[in-house]
Amino acid sequence: MKKLLTLGLAVFVTVAFDSCKKKQGDQFAGIDGDYVSGTPLPDRIDGAGFFGNNVVRGQFPPVYFGYDSFTVSDAELMKLEQVASAMRSNGKTLIIAGFTDERGTEEYNRGLGERRALAVREALISMGMNGGRIQTVSFGEEMPADPGSGEAAWAKNRRAEFGVVK
Amino acid sequence: MKRLLALLFFLPVVLCAQETITIRKGDTTSVALKTLGGADGAAATKVLQNDLDLSGLFSITPPERATYLIGGSASGGSLEGQVTDTRGSVVLRKTYSGGLRAAAHKFADDIVSTLTGQKGIASTKIAFVSSRTGTKEIYTADYDGANVKQITNDRTISVSPAISPDGNKLAYTGYQSGYADIYLIDLLTGARNRIIKFPGTNSGASFAPDGNRIACTLSKDGNPELYIVGISGGGARRLTRTKGVESSPTWSPDGSQIIYSSDDRGGPQLYRISAGGGSGELIPTGYSYCTEPSWSPDGQKLAFTVRSGGFSIAVKDLRSGATRILGAGEDPVFGANSRHLIYSSGSSLILLDTQTGRQVPIITGLGKVTEPTWSR
Repeated sequence: MKKLLTLGLAVFVTVAFDSCKKKQGDQFAGIDGDYVSGTPLPDRIDGAGFFGNNVVRGQFPPVYFGYDSFTVSDAELMKLEQVASAMRSNGKTLIIAGFTDERGTEEYNRGLGERRALAVREALISMGMNGGRIQTVSFGEEMPADPGSGEAAWAKNRRAEFGVVK
Repeated sequence: MKRLLALLFFLPVVLCAQETITIRKGDTTSVALKTLGGADGAAATKVLQNDLDLSGLFSITPPERATYLIGGSASGGSLEGQVTDTRGSVVLRKTYSGGLRAAAHKFADDIVSTLTGQKGIASTKIAFVSSRTGTKEIYTADYDGANVKQITNDRTISVSPAISPDGNKLAYTGYQSGYADIYLIDLLTGARNRIIKFPGTNSGASFAPDGNRIACTLSKDGNPELYIVGISGGGARRLTRTKGVESSPTWSPDGSQIIYSSDDRGGPQLYRISAGGGSGELIPTGYSYCTEPSWSPDGQKLAFTVRSGGFSIAVKDLRSGATRILGAGEDPVFGANSRHLIYSSGSSLILLDTQTGRQVPIITGLGKVTEPTWSR
């Protein structure tokens, strides 16, 4: 059973990178015919919140998403290579914060923001980062990068931002 | 002239093409309300009259045309209420306490149950989110919009409130730790506890009908999934396993099933799952974006938000399968009578009678007001 789980997890990790390119369901069927899981999150570091004083934000550019999508596009994946290479060996913890635009209902957007942060996290794990050093948080449609309305503002707000814990 | 005639001819056709709501005379019970005596009589009568009016169950008429006569007196925070029929026989006589408004609401609910056999909504409480202070905080109020109280003052983000069925507890999502955690407030004592604080995002609490369990969205295992957690925060049990986002669980009246929103197959759709686990079964609605479902306490209807252009309030009859749109807005929640909804129109909360289509703003002037929840 344990072996099967490990196999399932291994299959998942290999396809995780691909899953960022395409939002497509059935090929990721796990052992029960369901999606197994992402990589479980590590325990939090108390006192290190994304907007806190002990977190450096803006060191890496945000990753942007399409409307109602948590797919990391090929162009955005390039940005993640930079994050992964800087973070792979520095021993620090990364917090990924997911955000949405103002359209959509609030609770759904909180889930979508978290899914975006987790999609970025899985991509970084597939690039060799240790998942045990990546936290996620979703702000949904709160804290927009651009408080305006309209596609130009919305495109800036559908994003995942990075914070490095000092 | 001819054109005008043609227009007049077609006008009813155009009107008929809209959602038609028929109010049969027999749907309402005619009552006469005599201003209550006593020092607080006039004020209590106002509350009572509003309750009877909002219920949609009564027409208030002069005594000679009424089937029942309502009267009594109110003073010092208590109310003595009486309902008699046309022959003068007493059908309800009771003394209520707890303050003028609370006493009037209790009398209204007893009138509803005595004369119609239905459950009233007059004594219920609501909670919601307002950005009045510049940050999102949680507020409570009576169902008619009176007694607004600011509950949180965290100056971060406090959202997604859920009021327990008995109205005594409030769960919400707060960001004080820098992450989204679920807090539980005892509204009677004011005590607050951070009950769900797993890694990742913890949000979207929904009380089981027994009030002892919470369904919510947790991402601790690497994906936003639904879990059931005890109200002290222990024993998290995972319900769903998809690659998408599950959110906004709502319980069946017996607590055996949960309906929720999931974007596992593209846009968010509604699914039904056993509270014991298993796989989610799609509930077809005909709309490609359906979120934030609310299951009626009688188990027969489902209210939710759809996106078709803007956002609209939809109600699906779970027996016939028919879905109808009731107006523009978001976040509908069913009241105890399975007839009224409260939803957000952005700048106000609206009380909607799904039977007559009547809409009454109950919360206004508090900035953006969203995510209403309603005790039962």
